[in-house]
Amino acid sequence: MSDAPDRTTHFGFETVPESEKAGRVHGVFTSVASRYDLMNDAMSLGVHRVWKDALLDWLAPRRGMKLLDVAGGTGDIAFRFLERVKGEGQVTVLDMTESMLVEGRARVEGREIEGKLDWIVGDAMALPLPSASYDAYTISFGIRNVTRIEDAIAEAYRVLRPGGRFLVLEFSRVPNAMLRRIYDSYSFNVIPRMGQAIAGDRDSYQYLVESIRRFPDQETFASMIRAAGFEQVSYRNLSMGIAALHSGWKI
Amino acid sequence: MNGPMEPTEPAETVAPRPDTHHIDRRLLEFLVCPVTRGALVYDAERQELISKGAHLAYPIHNGIPVMLVDEARKLED
Repeated sequence: MSDAPDRTTHFGFETVPESEKAGRVHGVFTSVASRYDLMNDAMSLGVHRVWKDALLDWLAPRRGMKLLDVAGGTGDIAFRFLERVKGEGQVTVLDMTESMLVEGRARVEGREIEGKLDWIVGDAMALPLPSASYDAYTISFGIRNVTRIEDAIAEAYRVLRPGGRFLVLEFSRVPNAMLRRIYDSYSFNVIPRMGQAIAGDRDSYQYLVESIRRFPDQETFASMIRAAGFEQVSYRNLSMGIAALHSGWKI
Repeated sequence: MNGPMEPTEPAETVAPRPDTHHIDRRLLEFLVCPVTRGALVYDAERQELISKGAHLAYPIHNGIPVMLVDEARKLED
């Protein structure tokens, strides 16, 4: 995949060759898959549920909508979406990590919504999906882990229909300096220890914390979305900017 | 995820269930090769999706297509 073997990217605060990042991120998620939701709850003190609902609020799903949820492994966004459209919609859940999808699919087995969902292992930078085929594209806490974020945004643009909506939920930058210091101290001191205690895996959560700090701030990320061709790009801070929702339209 | 915090065990024990999943025909026709964006041919016997343009065969694991170049089998032409 990588054309320039000596290019590097970030793995948390480490700098690693681009070709290695996907494998290392994959390792993180394979190792946390079965406890993923539990850890999300612990890390965000349960607030990630509120943030995901905020994403659905802003998306305002309509019946008949076709959604692509990327990095949606365990189905968190997909299930919320189908609930809101009363089962009258279609969702493709795409994730790099097979074990996350297996987990997600197992949760709907035998349920009525099972047929509304497709589960695909795939790469956000090279989607195995035809152009102009979705009404909405969502990615929650996933884009930060993509090796080349620009490529993922370009692919989102490609697979969306004209009039389609791009929505990203991701950790972001707390604008207030004092609050940021408190938050930093929580994340660097508390979260890796929680990772150790709950998942027996400190390193993966150390990576998560570092990768959050590496991710572009609200304005920078908004300009990346605009650069891909999206219009009416805007964002909303959640929980004082600990996370943010970015939105763009393919016109 | 039922019940919080059982004592730790390796996370990767996704219990190998019997192969009861069949890939949806509609999905098969919808998917494209991530490299060429061209159509794929379904090999039901081998459970693979073949991209003639890219000379790759993408595996289907228990009904889930694995559309990653790194996981694909390279085909001789």
